[in-house]
Amino acid sequence: MDVRYINPFIQGLLDVVAMLGMTSIVRTGLGKKTYLQTENEVNIIIGLTGEVKGNIVFSTPEATAKNIASAMMAGVPVEKLDLISKSALCELANMIAGNSAAKLEGLGVKFNVTPPTLITGKNLLALISQVETLVINFAGNEGPLEMNVALEM
Amino acid sequence: MSSTTYIVPFIKAVASVFKDMLGIVVTKGEPVDEGEEFGSQGFAVIVGFTGGWRGRFFLDMPPTAALRLASILTGEEYASPTEEEVLLSAAEIGNVVCGNAVTAVNDAYPGLNIRLTPPSVFVGDGFSMFNVRLSSYSVLMQTEAGPIKINVAVEEGKR
Repeated sequence: MDVRYINPFIQGLLDVVAMLGMTSIVRTGLGKKTYLQTENEVNIIIGLTGEVKGNIVFSTPEATAKNIASAMMAGVPVEKLDLISKSALCELANMIAGNSAAKLEGLGVKFNVTPPTLITGKNLLALISQVETLVINFAGNEGPLEMNVALEM
Repeated sequence: MSSTTYIVPFIKAVASVFKDMLGIVVTKGEPVDEGEEFGSQGFAVIVGFTGGWRGRFFLDMPPTAALRLASILTGEEYASPTEEEVLLSAAEIGNVVCGNAVTAVNDAYPGLNIRLTPPSVFVGDGFSMFNVRLSSYSVLMQTEAGPIKINVAVEEGKR
């Protein structure tokens, strides 16, 4: 996977969360996995088609997801991940994907994104691609957040 | 087009791919009302699409059915649904079903130009899936490998 195509995703996420007021979120790590095996209860998947094909999965513990949803809804406390907070989280993933897509188009790579799907559950194991998955870790006041990027090109 | 229109090509694709690729006959299919979230039986293949239709296709089954399908495909026996070949077999079946359905739709409605994402597979206990702002439709089909549930969530995109 070409590293030039990863930076737009990292920057896309940081730009969007900062725009929404979550300015403490920073990148904390980078790794590689064959499978996305996650302890995180909340996973949002967005697919890509076009000159790059693949899947991106945002993965967070439930507590982080609630904090992010709360931050997006002007600080209203989120006790439970209900429909509105789930919609907010999907919208966040959508904004990040859109923002990253615009940045990638700047590099001459064209693709389309699917609508987000939010998957909640415990002890999830996922195979999101038959190529290796790049894991980018972020953390901030809201808690830890992972972005898994698997691109085929 | 109504949400029923969206799922019909996928029902046909499951029936034909299961018969031709796996030798499994779908004996019965009935609609399921899922409400706001789609509840998984424990093992789900997800394929996304973009173009004239934007959305997702879920092929969902109990882990036992995933083991059975992988065994039919490869001739091996598997103990756990998280074994690599089980995940890859299911991904391939999901990919073929979705490719088959979308080819039929693209042929029937020229200009839709629907394209697929690579398949992903999720395994876990009692997880659920939520699509924002998409109308979705589910059908539960009975097969000798176990109950296979499909769900199609679509919005009409730009062509």
